[in-house]
Amino acid sequence: MDFAPITDRIADELSRIVGPKNLIFRDAERLEPYSHDETAEREYAAMPEAVVKPGSTAEVSRIMALASRERIPVTPRGAGSGLSGGCVPQFGGVVLSLERMNRILELDLDNLVVVAQPGVVTNTINEALKKDGLMFAGYPMSLETCFLGGNVAENAGGGKAVKYGVTSRYVVGLEVVLPSGEVLRLGGKLRKDVTGYDLVRLLVGSEGTLAVVTEVTLTLLPVPKRRAVLLASFPDVPSAIGAVPRIVREARVVPTSVEYMDRASVLASCAYLNERIPYERAGAMLLIEVDGESEEEVFRAYARIGEICEARGADPVYVADNRTTMERIWNVRRNIAEAFKVRSPRQSLEDVVVPIAAIPAFMEGLAAIQAEYGAEIPCYGHAGDGNLHATVVKPAAWGEEEWHGKLAELLGKLYRLTHELGGRISGEHGIGNKRKRYIGIDLDPATLALMRRVKAAFDPAGILNPGKIFPDGA
Amino acid sequence: MKILVLVKQVPETDSLAIDPETGTVVRSEATSIVNPLDLYALEAALAIKDTRAEARITALSMGPPAAAVALKEAVAMGCDDAVLVTGREFAGADTWATARTLAAAIRRLGPFDLVFCGEKATDGDTGQVGPEVAAFLDLPVVTYAGAVELRDGPGGLVVRAERVSEDCGQIVECAAPLVLSFCKAVGEPRLPLLAGKKRAHDLAPRLLGLAELGLPAEEAGSRGSPTRVVRIASPRLTRETESLDARSEEGAEAACRRIVELLAEKGLVVPKDGAGREGRVKP
Repeated sequence: MDFAPITDRIADELSRIVGPKNLIFRDAERLEPYSHDETAEREYAAMPEAVVKPGSTAEVSRIMALASRERIPVTPRGAGSGLSGGCVPQFGGVVLSLERMNRILELDLDNLVVVAQPGVVTNTINEALKKDGLMFAGYPMSLETCFLGGNVAENAGGGKAVKYGVTSRYVVGLEVVLPSGEVLRLGGKLRKDVTGYDLVRLLVGSEGTLAVVTEVTLTLLPVPKRRAVLLASFPDVPSAIGAVPRIVREARVVPTSVEYMDRASVLASCAYLNERIPYERAGAMLLIEVDGESEEEVFRAYARIGEICEARGADPVYVADNRTTMERIWNVRRNIAEAFKVRSPRQSLEDVVVPIAAIPAFMEGLAAIQAEYGAEIPCYGHAGDGNLHATVVKPAAWGEEEWHGKLAELLGKLYRLTHELGGRISGEHGIGNKRKRYIGIDLDPATLALMRRVKAAFDPAGILNPGKIFPDGA
Repeated sequence: MKILVLVKQVPETDSLAIDPETGTVVRSEATSIVNPLDLYALEAALAIKDTRAEARITALSMGPPAAAVALKEAVAMGCDDAVLVTGREFAGADTWATARTLAAAIRRLGPFDLVFCGEKATDGDTGQVGPEVAAFLDLPVVTYAGAVELRDGPGGLVVRAERVSEDCGQIVECAAPLVLSFCKAVGEPRLPLLAGKKRAHDLAPRLLGLAELGLPAEEAGSRGSPTRVVRIASPRLTRETESLDARSEEGAEAACRRIVELLAEKGLVVPKDGAGREGRVKP
């Protein structure tokens, strides 16, 4: 990569754009937090030369124009809660942190949309909407910390995608700044819009490599009045996994969530939480949430789904329908990653996605990979949409070097298995720098070449978030 | 063995709205749940049933027809029957009238070997009803019980209970029948099972009114309540609070300075080069 370093002169210019308080330069201690995201492996981290925190679209535009002129790489950043190294400044340069652009600009109830800046914490949108009985249905598992801008950049999914889909379903308008500094307003408060190419859809999930998002328009839904959560304990993996396509096909209701947890995940999380449910004999568990307008509707939905689970050998099947008990059950699922981190900090959290009906075959293949390498790969995740968080944990016997070598080989096998089943290597976390060398498993050369031309059309100088998605680091 | 568990339907605390005029809870807007502390009484009863299959558990509540929600949850958790004392005559009861009514219902439904209740309800917060029920039934009462063990003595069933208080534990033995009020030391209450939920869904609690209880109208509800609510007011805030806005970097700096200043005033920290003196934020 042929980038210029940030000189004092350029730093001065950045300082004049955002104000001296909103520039971090030559201060390693304050730059360090911007060198990584939540990806556990620190080899994907890289130090920025400077961090700028613009307060407006105009400032973002001036920063981009400056960076284009000087050939400085710019990496946009939200809350840093990503899991693919997407906001890591691979080639140094400027981290453009959107943390100060954190206002909800408009609650437009007549059009049922909310307009917000990218630095808004996702959950605060729903807090602001609560009194009106409305919600933004995106539900990334980190919703109390992640930023809306990050959700848009990664097209975040999460635990409610089975019923409500992923972030892109709700994004109808964007204001973006191109690497050149030009500001575009795309889409709007519209439910239909086929005027030209759908650039909104292209930009959502583009991992901050095409443009910087400075404003987001989201459609809203009414909050369902009633919810209930089932926790079904199955004797083994095949019976749990086999229940998922049956629920989808036979229950005649669309569950809000269908989450899968294998035995290792259940044991780790329940022990971490001191949970009292009899989890020791569980071979695998499903957590299924339903919602609806009335108690009766929700009862019928969970009773039917619960009966399908019982027919597949689930026992016990717990039901929670008030806040306290629902939280208790969701906590088991939400704390798995944390529980594993406590046990072994050296791990690789994956997020492959396969067609729902291919989950049993995937689990079989995963078991074979575990046996081959002798490594524990606990697996949990969003079974209802085929998005599974297989987590490779470093065996104690492996040294660091052995871990690196074998992990790359193991991941290659895991990804090829996924691809052969009609899946993709990432369902919601993104490619970033973590998975870029594997993208060729899923995308053929012609597709990748087209994507490169798209990238070049937006960012001819290649200064925006370089080193991501494409295997050669372009 | 027959166990009766008293349960109360209360509003879920996070969905609570307070009427600013009257200072009372707006019940219509709140989601109803089983009083969280009653869950420990239910758990204690169900744990006995786990080991003594012949035990039958009846859940009893007094309240409006909507209180059936709480009774259904008790059945979903594993109680055998549910009884609701309901009727306009019972409205406005204080703890005295409530206990008298519940005692009449227990007499009517009984006899029971054990009467269980929670430590107190999260709405009224009095903790009086359980012991008052014991008094009306002329039974001994063991309060703040954690774990209980049962054994069959020569004179009948004997309960060994661990009482838990802030500064000590106490082990008490008492012959049944008796009333026990339970605290959190019982352990985390079980989650309802699907089978229990389905049973509860199809079950209508047995209803008891004034006539079935054989209680004179002047002894129930507000007429039977010696307590008079003279005034309801929100408590005045006696702590002085100060909000610091730390959402911007400038605000965060000022907030940090203010916190250091406050801690320094209390002698908890010694600020470096008088940093705590500047950037005072107005309350």
